Amino acid sequence: MPNRRDFVKAMALAAAATAGDRLAFAQGAPAKRREVFIGRKRIKVIDSHAHLNIAEVANVVKGTPFERQAVTTGDGIIGPARLAWMDRDGIDIAMLTQQGAFWYAVQDRGLARDIVKAQNEGTAAVVAKNPDRFIGMASMPLQFPDLAAEALEDGIKRLGFKGGGISAGWAGAKNLTDPEYDVFWSKVQELGAFMFMHPGGTNGNGDPHFGGKGALPNTIGNPLETTIFFSRLIYEGTLDKFPGVRICGAHGGGYLPSYLGRTDAQCRRQDDVCTGKKRPVEEYFKTQLMADCMVFREEGLRHLVAELGVGQVVYGTDMPFGWPVTPDFILNAKFLNDAQKEQILGGNLIKLLKLSPNTTA
Amino acid sequence: MDRRDFMKTIGGAAAGAYVAGRGLPALAQQRGGGAGRGGRGGAAAAGPVERKRISIGGQRVTVIDVHAHCTVDGVAEVVKGTPFERQAGGRALDADRIALIDSEGIDIQALTINGYWWWEVQDRALAGRIVRAQNEGLARWVSDHKDRFVALSSVSLQFPDLAAEQLDYGVKQLGLRGATIGGHVNGDALSDPKFDPFWAKANELGVIVFMHPGGADNIVKDTAWKARGDIGNIIGNPLETTYFLTRLIFDGTFDKFPNLKVCGAHGGGYLPSYFQRTEVACDVRGNAMCANKKHPREYLRSNIMADTMVLTDEGLRHLVAEMGISQVVYGTDNPLNWPVPVEMIVNHSTLTNDQKVQILSGNLMKLLKITTPATA
Repeated sequence: MPNRRDFVKAMALAAAATAGDRLAFAQGAPAKRREVFIGRKRIKVIDSHAHLNIAEVANVVKGTPFERQAVTTGDGIIGPARLAWMDRDGIDIAMLTQQGAFWYAVQDRGLARDIVKAQNEGTAAVVAKNPDRFIGMASMPLQFPDLAAEALEDGIKRLGFKGGGISAGWAGAKNLTDPEYDVFWSKVQELGAFMFMHPGGTNGNGDPHFGGKGALPNTIGNPLETTIFFSRLIYEGTLDKFPGVRICGAHGGGYLPSYLGRTDAQCRRQDDVCTGKKRPVEEYFKTQLMADCMVFREEGLRHLVAELGVGQVVYGTDMPFGWPVTPDFILNAKFLNDAQKEQILGGNLIKLLKLSPNTTA
Repeated sequence: MDRRDFMKTIGGAAAGAYVAGRGLPALAQQRGGGAGRGGRGGAAAAGPVERKRISIGGQRVTVIDVHAHCTVDGVAEVVKGTPFERQAGGRALDADRIALIDSEGIDIQALTINGYWWWEVQDRALAGRIVRAQNEGLARWVSDHKDRFVALSSVSLQFPDLAAEQLDYGVKQLGLRGATIGGHVNGDALSDPKFDPFWAKANELGVIVFMHPGGADNIVKDTAWKARGDIGNIIGNPLETTYFLTRLIFDGTFDKFPNLKVCGAHGGGYLPSYFQRTEVACDVRGNAMCANKKHPREYLRSNIMADTMVLTDEGLRHLVAEMGISQVVYGTDNPLNWPVPVEMIVNHSTLTNDQKVQILSGNLMKLLKITTPATA
């Protein structure tokens, strides 16, 4: 399950990367808020991929085997430093999903429900303080599909969230395409909730093959988890059963959108292995599956947009982790026209989530 | 991959688009390497096939295919009475193969024996005999069809020093042009220093090492693999290749042996098409501990090569943009029926004629030391 040590270490790294900002903030120097323009038009920049931690979770898990999983300090706790960072980079709105997925391992329904309640109410409180800068995304106990559906409905109807964040660990975890999850996906569809999928199950931690150099549980494990998840949603027919479901995969949607040819070709040469799905593979990517832009290089982005269509790619940063992906990555992409840049930076999400196109600053 | 499935599909394919040739493969190779359903069957029984000749810009191009599976006679006798008796069969070479490459416009095919079941052989002498039979069988076929085939050496990589000897002998005595390997040896990563003798030999000889995966059974063993879409192959194969190449980068193997040219099957797996995360890992991840001395992209653009099996026009454009034209070579997965006709390169929408010739011909002529262009 989520590797806390790894997480804390990465948080520390991210903190180091932003130490300058935080120092400036501590000294009372207000960070100037960057406003992103394309031509003369002010563009609303929305970050689909931003994480947070809710310190109050510590009270809920106290005295349980999950006591050490709660994060109460660091850059995952939203405060002035996060806003300063967003201001500096020119991000108007961040969509907040919980970091990690430790609560998927909780077998007690009551405890699981209490943890996500604390997470979701904590998130709602963060959003309430700066409603023009944050959008809440529900945390759900996915190990209990009915409770997950409940938590999503509560998040959307009572707390004003726009969707939810999910993980799909691939070693020993349940498969989200199993029929027992129909109750969850039908709720997602009914609510029109936007799902942001972020890997973070086991992704190879503990397997000696992923030890060693190069941070392979992250470098390979993360895109792999997303790849298996998307593949199963397609091949098992889940996306056909729930055509209203929209899911955005973190980190450019993993390997699949960047290496789509093999997936589709296999169905053309061996249709007996693709009996669970109804449409050509690429159609799911043109409609129901989306990806954030975390491919870091213009050529990678060009390929992603070519494969998925510009309407399926959204801006995402992985904040507070220090990956190199500011709005300039999109603004400087030579192959995109202005309208396409606007779509990726915010337009696609404004349309999908029915947000106001206006900015407050 | 089980034999029943394999036979069913071969039967289906033969009954469908292809007329059944003689000599259907007797037994599917195990462990996924080169195995798989959906063989093309054979075309020979339908009568002589007209040889397709490829030209680009009015110039005849010698089309070379780096990714072609086969088995050879002679291995069966060596493993008879051993626990490996049933592994010797597979895609035996015969007239059907020539008909197949004629029909597809392939002038020269680089043959490899894949599956790597012989890496499980613990008896060093037996391991030596198996590879000897494979390499001599390959050399015999090539010498009988000099203008149409070259071959890469099998090696007993479970005995790295023996593998180095076999490669040396194969290249110098048998005229083989490089080596073929899988992504791991019974679970061990090939960046492990114990494999240095093999890498040092490939580095010294300056020959290509063609890597073909077998379903990533070194790193994924759980039930997530048993699902629709044949994802054990569709995800497992590119995953194994990605993991293999990634470790050669981060563990410093390419720094130790800078002359290596390692070609990953199926477009090099996910790595070249989704290189960006790999490229920034050492900078972003505090726990990365990278041993590589150069930026990861430098290996991608020099030591690492990939075949064209990304299967789409846009996928190939992207592959070339990421790796550089010198690193991409034509590969078909013959005799399996993946949709990678030579027209995918010839009719490509953005590549120049010079680039097309490099992919189909020039890069491999140099690397496989092919000196005689096709004249027919």
